[in-house]
Amino acid sequence: MSSREFSRFMAEGRDNFLKSIFVSLIVSFAVFLIAYFIRLKSIESFMPKYGFFIFFSILSYSLIVTTLKHISRYNEFPCMGGMMVGMTLGMIAGFLPGFFIGATNGMFVGSVFGMVVGIYLGVWSGKCCGIMGIMEGMMAGFMGGLMGAMTAIMMFNDHLKAAGVIVFAISSMIIVGLNFMIYKESKSLDKQDTGNFVNLVLSFVLTTATIWLSVFGPRSPLFQ
Amino acid sequence: MKSSFYLIGIIVLVAIFGFVMIKGASVGESSVYTAPIVDGVQEVVLGVKNYNYYPNTVKVKIGIPVRIYLDSSVSGCLRDFTIRDFEIHEYLKTTEDYVEFTPTESGRHAFACSMNMGTGVLIVE
Repeated sequence: MSSREFSRFMAEGRDNFLKSIFVSLIVSFAVFLIAYFIRLKSIESFMPKYGFFIFFSILSYSLIVTTLKHISRYNEFPCMGGMMVGMTLGMIAGFLPGFFIGATNGMFVGSVFGMVVGIYLGVWSGKCCGIMGIMEGMMAGFMGGLMGAMTAIMMFNDHLKAAGVIVFAISSMIIVGLNFMIYKESKSLDKQDTGNFVNLVLSFVLTTATIWLSVFGPRSPLFQ
Repeated sequence: MKSSFYLIGIIVLVAIFGFVMIKGASVGESSVYTAPIVDGVQEVVLGVKNYNYYPNTVKVKIGIPVRIYLDSSVSGCLRDFTIRDFEIHEYLKTTEDYVEFTPTESGRHAFACSMNMGTGVLIVE
């Protein structure tokens, strides 16, 4: 990997990536604002309890849906590339929601939510290279969801917020690396133009589910 | 031009919402509890709230024996109770089990489960 190649990747993809992240953030923060003024405002110490985790969930979703949009520009990948895509996106899409919901609701809800999101997005992104990509996506989503919630629980009384920031920062770097890999591996492949509709829908669904689950969802008995 | 617009938009959104949503974030709940003296012993019963011992800040008096019980809400590794400063490490299997010691040094002494997942402070005055 040369820095020149990376600079070219940043220059070529910058508009699309920034637009996609921006659209996702607008949708997610709009959902949050509407929910806040309709219902969440009246919940006692809502911001101190949930604000941090919902904020980082929204940032995470903006990166995840942007990568998904990048992946969906290609109809199919070489086998190894597709496996890597399914595995990385499944893991990150499972770990981050699992971590943030695990921190507010406990191990069970956090890991189930993380697994559902991770497996779904892992399979979606991995299907571009057939059954191997699908299997990788499933396994990574399953493992990421469990691990995210478990990490949050293990660190609950030991700098959980700092761990959240570190986890998010590392995941962001992995996501950037994945996008660079896709760019490098698929230069010769046919691309198709994709709009922002999937971004919009996914950001809306994920943010709504995260807010609802973390505030009103079931909790582990230890979180009562 | 286009990318600058999106970049500035992202920075503004993240800065505004980050400031509002992160400000004053807290994890768990802390509570200060002063142990009552019953028959010459300072008795403390710890439970669990928000995945931590509750109360998790306990004030005791120096030179008077302290007895710590864990109630039925405490489970898993949190029943393996440790206070390193007083060399206490005991698995309190039932709610009747307790650890007893006499604090001889004033100051703040951490207590925790053996895996450090539940933590608290014993303030000896």
